[in-house]
Amino acid sequence: MESRWAAEHLEVIRTLMERAAVYRRALAPTTLLTGSLGTAAAIVGWAAGFESPRAFSLYWMIVGLLAVVGALVVMRRQALKDLEPFWSLPARRVAQAMSPPLMIGLVAGLLTILLSSQGLRVWWLPPAWMVLYGCALHAAGFFMPRGIRLFGWGFVLIGSVLLIVLSQQSDEAGLPSLRNAHALMGATFGGLHLAYGVYLRLTEPRKRAA
Amino acid sequence: MNAEPFLQLDRVIHEKGRLAIMSLLAAAPQLSFTELRDTLNMTDGNITAHVRTLQESGYVAVTKSFQGGRPLTTFAITEGGRKAFTRYIDLLEQIVQQSKE
Repeated sequence: MESRWAAEHLEVIRTLMERAAVYRRALAPTTLLTGSLGTAAAIVGWAAGFESPRAFSLYWMIVGLLAVVGALVVMRRQALKDLEPFWSLPARRVAQAMSPPLMIGLVAGLLTILLSSQGLRVWWLPPAWMVLYGCALHAAGFFMPRGIRLFGWGFVLIGSVLLIVLSQQSDEAGLPSLRNAHALMGATFGGLHLAYGVYLRLTEPRKRAA
Repeated sequence: MNAEPFLQLDRVIHEKGRLAIMSLLAAAPQLSFTELRDTLNMTDGNITAHVRTLQESGYVAVTKSFQGGRPLTTFAITEGGRKAFTRYIDLLEQIVQQSKE
């Protein structure tokens, strides 16, 4: 009887210790912000006609940077509001988990900018970014609510399908205009984030009044 | 069965609410008042009372500071608290082990 009770106690302790390392700050505002920024950027990119590989890569890398800065500002505001440390252990773990794939995405974007004159296909960039971003989300999902990992899988799957489709195109001339790539970025980095943000907004538990 | 490990369990940590607080603090360098409260779904009064008991036993250190002009209270497990918590876990494992033997 005592041993069963002790085993249950140990299980509770293990669960609580795991929970201590989970990032729990409300994700809906950051997701909605990223989605809005992605959608707006796609519309601007489409309308402005950034169609050279260099302009496309540079433009979306700046948008990505703005999204990261915006997310950090929202997270800091939330931390201040909730009287919690901003750079907490779970926040650090999430940042560390996301860093490697995001770094590869940054390098891929820089290579596209630097080597665009050598015929590097910029159409590879959006699906590669989707796969890498999906990997980053999936890695972060081990320190966040479980839904993030599923969200990450969404990006990985869409990016992978697009990579397969692209690999069927042997001739660069057969690829559609880069305006469509802006639309693709808007639909995924904008649309998917907006959809997930709305879902989170509707399902996140309301904060208890202090 | 040898009842000794059960009798040796630290009564301060053994209480459900305090055990939960110690478990969280053992896994994180420090946690804020709101993080503890929201994770454990406890009331402000409960958290305050349990932390006070743990603090009086020397198991938890309380730090009060300011963040963005607002007060921030954070808790961390002390060296003595970590030793007591480790001892508590060891005793639980002994109890489980005894039943297997």
